[in-house]
Amino acid sequence: MRSRRLVLLFLAAFLALAVGLMLGSVATGPAGVIRAFSDPTSTENTILFSLRLPRVLLAFAVGAGLAVTGTALQALVRNPLADPYLLGLSGGAGLGAVLAIALVAAGAWTVPLAAWVGAMVSVALVYRLATVAGHRLDPRILLLAGVVVSAFTGAVMAAVLTLVPSPALRNAFLWLLGGFGAASWQSLIVFSAYAIIPAALLVVGARNLDLLSLGEEPAQYLGADVERVKQVVYFSSSLLAAAAVAVSGVVGFVGLVVPHAMRRVVGPMHRALIPAVALTGGGFLVLADGVARTIASPLELPVGVVTAVIGVPLFALLLKRSVR
Amino acid sequence: MILEARGLTVRYPGASRVALDQVTLGVGAGELVALVGPNGCGKTTLMRALLGILPAETGETFIDGRAPAAWKRGDLARFLGVVAQREEIWVPLTVEETVMLGRYPRLGALAPITAEDRAEVRRALERCDVWELRDRLVETLSGGEWQRVRVARALAQQPRALVLDEPATALDIRHEMEVMELVATLVKDGLACLLITHHLNLAARYAHRMALLDKGRLIASGTPATVMRAETLSQVFGWPVEVQDWNGAPQLIPLRSPDP
Amino acid sequence: MSRSFAWLAFTFAIACGRAPESAGPLVLVDDAGDTTRLARPAARVASLAPSTTELLFAIGAGPLVVGRTKWCDWPAEAASVADLGDGINPNIEAILGVRPDLAVLYLSPGNASAASRLRGAGVPTVQLRGDSFDDLARNAELLGRAVGRSDSARSVVAALQSGLAALDRRGDSSGPRVLVLAWDNPPMTIGRGSYLDELVSRAGGRNIFADVDAPSAPISLEAIAARHPDAILTSSVNPGFVSRPEWQAVAAVRRRRLVVLEGSEFSRPSPRAPAAIRRLAAAFDSLR
Repeated sequence: MRSRRLVLLFLAAFLALAVGLMLGSVATGPAGVIRAFSDPTSTENTILFSLRLPRVLLAFAVGAGLAVTGTALQALVRNPLADPYLLGLSGGAGLGAVLAIALVAAGAWTVPLAAWVGAMVSVALVYRLATVAGHRLDPRILLLAGVVVSAFTGAVMAAVLTLVPSPALRNAFLWLLGGFGAASWQSLIVFSAYAIIPAALLVVGARNLDLLSLGEEPAQYLGADVERVKQVVYFSSSLLAAAAVAVSGVVGFVGLVVPHAMRRVVGPMHRALIPAVALTGGGFLVLADGVARTIASPLELPVGVVTAVIGVPLFALLLKRSVR
Repeated sequence: MILEARGLTVRYPGASRVALDQVTLGVGAGELVALVGPNGCGKTTLMRALLGILPAETGETFIDGRAPAAWKRGDLARFLGVVAQREEIWVPLTVEETVMLGRYPRLGALAPITAEDRAEVRRALERCDVWELRDRLVETLSGGEWQRVRVARALAQQPRALVLDEPATALDIRHEMEVMELVATLVKDGLACLLITHHLNLAARYAHRMALLDKGRLIASGTPATVMRAETLSQVFGWPVEVQDWNGAPQLIPLRSPDP
Repeated sequence: MSRSFAWLAFTFAIACGRAPESAGPLVLVDDAGDTTRLARPAARVASLAPSTTELLFAIGAGPLVVGRTKWCDWPAEAASVADLGDGINPNIEAILGVRPDLAVLYLSPGNASAASRLRGAGVPTVQLRGDSFDDLARNAELLGRAVGRSDSARSVVAALQSGLAALDRRGDSSGPRVLVLAWDNPPMTIGRGSYLDELVSRAGGRNIFADVDAPSAPISLEAIAARHPDAILTSSVNPGFVSRPEWQAVAAVRRRRLVVLEGSEFSRPSPRAPAAIRRLAAAFDSLR
């Protein structure tokens, strides 16, 4: 039964990809797609193959990554309100990116790299704060440490933005709100090559995540190396989320809402849950990105705005149903 | 001896007093040993030290003749089933899913769940009389049902020994007796069982041997008759008690304050 | 007892009431619709907008400028004037510190409270909109009257208008189709009606996003690629974006048809507009 649902989710994700390919400021229905394939010099060809295809695939990869990260972090801190940015990550990434933009740093990869570095610095900071007695990671302190680091980086970021010339300020905000406008085959390959390791670690550790949901002591009695599991989950999640933010800014709600929804569909066991959230998160972000670049065409909305606008009522609905 | 502690002394980091002082204790196959004593006397500490979670300052502990450190994590989980005092599940798991978690030490990270695993889970559920509840969410269970499910999960590990920390606390009479009867059956089938409880009378009726702890020291150990003496118990628990025999088992009766 | 209370209330009311408008024969009605009266032409002007600074120097009132914003970079003489900081939500203390007898603010919601605070402190204040050519002419006239250099102002306006008339290629359908880029990540275009957009059309260029009705807006790379601009024009963006892989989908980037304009005369209404338009037109001509 569960595997049948996974198959359905796979098909749904595929459909989302197809729809995502057809959405855009240049409306490309099935006829346009055919033209793109048949005529290599057509505008449709350029748009589809150089811009839209890598963008849609990147949105899928990032959406899957964010959803898996959110699921793993919720298991780690045993709290359904955890999301990928819980660990102070988005603040650090935002600060890094804002500094790069404010200093008008040259280079194609400067902003993503700066965002990634900022993210990892705040991850390390949160880890230091949350490690008790030198080596034990305490998930409760993790939550608080994440809040503290987020507040700090947020304050520094606000200070930077105050001192920076106005056009760069607005642009920094737009970047932060999330978007896939800078997607290319290159960024897709870099992200995928990088993300595959932490993602694989989380997939392989799915059973350990199940055991963690019992609490640390029972998990230990059932054979889990609890400290190692916490570390692996923490750092894999951080790496994945940092890469996502570096590539596309802070895209919210995917990592928070998708695990909740999928627990109701395939249950809370992670061997089924992780593939399910990856497929759904990917498909959801593809569609959200499609809406972001179509709804106000030729203007483009930040994709984080679209995920919030869809995500908030969705989350409210899920909450209502779970309270019953 | 399946579980053993010899001259075990444990001190929590930074504490002035030791939590356990030269405790010697053993549990053999087919034996139910009850560990009793007032609150804070070190029962859970002893359990954790036996399992190697807490380091010993002096003395040694053994599981099936080997030190806990010599056991690989997975091997230990296949040998020993532990039902801890508290457990907070935060996701909606069904009973069957919960008990399936007991198979994880045998499954590892990647192996798929086989028919044999499902059969073992079913056996465990049936032995604990919770098979009909298998599709229920654990948060909807009564206290007794939940405890039996947790014992079933420990059974699914196919252990040779069980350690139960206060399994019947806050359960009403029926559920409490159900858990104790279940444990007695399992022990009769050959499991070694260390039962931590504050319910002395039940311990006296079910256990082969008892060990009485007070402030980290082993005050008395041996058969229930040896341990359940009025003077000893009154002193340890700080309350006057009387001990009476019931069907061969000594039962403790706390005395009321005399009228002024 | 009631008499002293009434006296107290009266004084209180006076203190809280609106500061009296400056009195005098020189009447200035600013773009916010407020009326300011000066007893005599201003001799110490605090200019809180770059285009105002440019105009004041252009009409020969440079020596009267006692304070400027940090963005006022033209002419070179402006550098020796005291730097008062930002023009939007300005530093009131700094302005008062240069003891101006007239303060000129940029009209924006962020400056509304600053204007009333300055007036309350006794400094006559006008707020000017400085977004388009029409604003230039009107502001020049007002500033000319305010500092007693009306003739000078009139000739500056005349020169500006003849300069604009001399080179006006609006409606030229043979001009290059350009993407006027304000930012690269995310890509942002300059829309219809903004100052740079008008400069571009007067220079004969055709903004491919003339349908965007905002000064600037984020647009998708797809839309840029689909609209096939002949060239990309940017005055503020580091042209490093041309080496980014996703921008190669735009033909103008592949062929390196890039016009990078340096200079603040492109970002705000300025008496240098005719020269700016000539530079733009020359750049467009070199693209043909």
